[in-house]
Amino acid sequence: MQILILLLQIAMVMAIVLLHVAYLTYFERKIIGHMQVRMGPMRVGWHGLLQPIADGIKSFFKEDIIPQQADKPLFLAAPIICLVTMLAALAVLPFAEGWVLADINIGLLFIFAMSSLASYGIILAGWASNSKYTFLGGMRSMAQVISYEIPMGLSLVGVMMLSGSLNLSEIVAAQGTSIFSIYLFPQIIGFFVFFIAMLAETNRVPFDLPEAETELVSGYITEYSGMRYAMFFMAEYIGMMILASIGTVCFLGGWNGPFVIPFFPPFWFILKVYGFLFVFIWIRATLPRYRYDQLMAIGWKLLIPLALLNIFLTGLFKALVH
Amino acid sequence: MKVQYKAKRNLLQTILQVEILQGLALTLRKLFSRPITRQYPDEKPPMYAGFRGQHALVRDPLTNASKCIGCMRCATVCPSRCIHIKTHPGDSGQRLIDQYAIDVLRCVFCGYCVEVCPVGAITMTEVFEYASYDREAIYFDQEILLANWDRFLEQTGYDDTYVNPFWRPRGTLESRLAAAMRRDVPADWTIEGQFVGTKVRQPPASKPITDTEAAHA
Amino acid sequence: MTKTTTLDVQVADGADDKYRLKMGPQHPATHGVLRVDLELDGETIDKCDPQVGYLHRGFEKLAEHRTYAQNIVLTDRLDYIAAMANNVGYCVAVEKLLAIDVPPRAQFIRVMVCEMARISSHLLWLATHALDIGAMTVFLYCFREREVLLELFAELCGSRLTNTYTRLGGVRQDVTHSIMLKLQRFVDEFPDHIAEYETLIDTNRIWLKRTIGIGPISADKAVDLCLTGPSLRGSGVDYDIRQHVPYAAYDQMDFEVPVGETGDTYARYRCRMEEFRQSNNILRQCIERMPPGPILGKDAPDLIMPAKPGRKIEFDAVAGNALIKLIDNRDLYMEGDVYVATEVPKGELGFYFISDGMGRPYRMHIRSPSFLHIGALATIGQGVMIADLIAIIGTLDVVLGECDR
Repeated sequence: MQILILLLQIAMVMAIVLLHVAYLTYFERKIIGHMQVRMGPMRVGWHGLLQPIADGIKSFFKEDIIPQQADKPLFLAAPIICLVTMLAALAVLPFAEGWVLADINIGLLFIFAMSSLASYGIILAGWASNSKYTFLGGMRSMAQVISYEIPMGLSLVGVMMLSGSLNLSEIVAAQGTSIFSIYLFPQIIGFFVFFIAMLAETNRVPFDLPEAETELVSGYITEYSGMRYAMFFMAEYIGMMILASIGTVCFLGGWNGPFVIPFFPPFWFILKVYGFLFVFIWIRATLPRYRYDQLMAIGWKLLIPLALLNIFLTGLFKALVH
Repeated sequence: MKVQYKAKRNLLQTILQVEILQGLALTLRKLFSRPITRQYPDEKPPMYAGFRGQHALVRDPLTNASKCIGCMRCATVCPSRCIHIKTHPGDSGQRLIDQYAIDVLRCVFCGYCVEVCPVGAITMTEVFEYASYDREAIYFDQEILLANWDRFLEQTGYDDTYVNPFWRPRGTLESRLAAAMRRDVPADWTIEGQFVGTKVRQPPASKPITDTEAAHA
Repeated sequence: MTKTTTLDVQVADGADDKYRLKMGPQHPATHGVLRVDLELDGETIDKCDPQVGYLHRGFEKLAEHRTYAQNIVLTDRLDYIAAMANNVGYCVAVEKLLAIDVPPRAQFIRVMVCEMARISSHLLWLATHALDIGAMTVFLYCFREREVLLELFAELCGSRLTNTYTRLGGVRQDVTHSIMLKLQRFVDEFPDHIAEYETLIDTNRIWLKRTIGIGPISADKAVDLCLTGPSLRGSGVDYDIRQHVPYAAYDQMDFEVPVGETGDTYARYRCRMEEFRQSNNILRQCIERMPPGPILGKDAPDLIMPAKPGRKIEFDAVAGNALIKLIDNRDLYMEGDVYVATEVPKGELGFYFISDGMGRPYRMHIRSPSFLHIGALATIGQGVMIADLIAIIGTLDVVLGECDR
């Protein structure tokens, strides 16, 4: 019985998240469209509302092309690795008080582990396609993920120090004593580092080098089509949502809000995540792209020292207060 | 003139990401501005007389046939040589058209044929949506070209007074036109009504240029 | 039976471990069908070898079989982004060869359409250059303005892209009040739009990092590499045919030539942004000072030019007017050769004609700026990274239609 309920919950979370992915693409296209004084999708349904469904059906029925020279097993496995790890990371996210599939004590570490595993999918995709552009895309992704895991982890150390826990629910609970019940202000440097690392980790503009379309055609997904392409796409957007959720949980006070919404406790959490996602899209519509070595330089020369400084300051603060 | 650069940002601007925030503010402002998209199949782009679109042969309301006199000027001037005309001499020495065909796939849409036609028989209409899946459908012979004209008048609501600026290029003197082309045109197509720069325009034009004078100018 | 191999890194003779990448001709950032053969060391380019010819249509040969008037159509397809400027360049050259006078109004209209073409071409350059570097919003803002200009072209001559607007001895169509009114509105609004593009990229730190110091060309080297136009002026060489060897009505226009200093991608970018403003000024002057008069010289040849001087084309009785009467008693076709260069948005577009007295050129050579700029890519593109190469291709502003002709 317990297992059945859990399975039902998992199914619900997955369904909701996948629906969000579909409509996140729609809103991304719409918002960027309007920012660029055009309209975005308009043809399928009222104001293009059915566009993501049409896209889904289209990619599902498209021919599954596997390049002849590709390393077939790896080529097939890569998108699955990407998607599965991203979905697994959803398990530890607390949407509200007690609304969590697996309330484990190493929640934060688990998410890091999963998002690092997802980059294996990208690297394997780049390698297995046996194409020069995908290879370069995979290489870039590998370097980028390694460089940005570190500042991202370090930026969250401050949060861990303040809350004294790795459990995401406890981190949220611990923020109650902070200014406005969020860690944003005491951890402003940490948030800055986290935010930039988050953009880089999800391969978003201005750090979308692994799939920089004007340099590497489409990076590691150049050779993918149809459903496999859609799986990478979904993984990318779920990744965005997960990192937005971590940002919400660690810096913006999770499900806590100015007042309690009855019957729907995750309201504030969802609102904050939407805010993050909007900023993702907004930045994409505005900024150009960094160069590969500049991205590395920012990661190692700016973000890591900043994150270390943040840890030092947080430690100093803790030592002085207590 | 040396190109001027904007001032380098200072430390405070670097830390506060001022220029990035300005960019973000601009895109956010545009989010609420009116899109300029034209919803193409529903909303057609504006068309102007003289658009170089689908070819047509003008149907002469008197004879209900083409006005073409078989002078071969269009076929001669065509840079891509896509107009094929075959004629035979008629009773009174005039040429009768056996075949008038345009291979549209070769056409470069320069409009020269329209411009040189002394009787205004051929024109390029404002229709531009006539793509087809097979080549035969865009090889226009005389019947299709006449039908194009009928359809064009029907779609756009023009009547036989339609004038094309290629039949009578704007700013051309009346004296340089073939007799058949001296038709009524809007005022600013003629040399008397032409646009003159705001600073050149003098209240009583010292010497208004007339048709005959300009010809000798 | 195909064998699944590991990634095909060509290792020749055990010594060469270069990663060879053939970028293009189907690549989003090579502006058409440019192919660049790269030898990479990681992401750094060791050797950059541009390959051209994927858009070769043999215009120079085609021109030998068509009359001077018919060849105007070919020039549309050279630099299809600024067809008007090519038309004008061609006609200026042929008019010099055939000694045809152009009335002042036509000169002014030519300057006007040239500058409109310059703005629309630079808009497309900025759009694609920004898109290459990742700023995709600038792309659409630029197209918003370019659309206005293209629609003005459509109203002026019936076609948005392949204008075929000039005629030997003038232009085809006079401007109308409605066109000039719309142009006036565009000229008034355009500076605000330039400010918009600059807000997005001009001081943006990412843009600065991607452009400052990338692909620097010294003034001497730029001259050696035959760069012209803004690409040359970015290196600090003050050379603009419009000002130094004026054609059409440019000698009556009041404008400045922006010249950069450093010769890097950012300097070239700033030069072109400044040219937007200068072109806008020229357009304003054209509107203000458009003289009255005919748009076609009285000795302008007919569109139907006989291919040989003696040959007469027979006409029907409807003739008897000046347009149809051929100028066959005039010494129209001169023998000799002529090279005339004009300043198109990309640089110096030169037409070299050898005429043997026939109604068509014996030989027409086109000196196209894009071809030489692509040639320069081999030198500039050495030792930079892939992403920089994209920025450099963008900043040299090449159009393959003109390069391959």
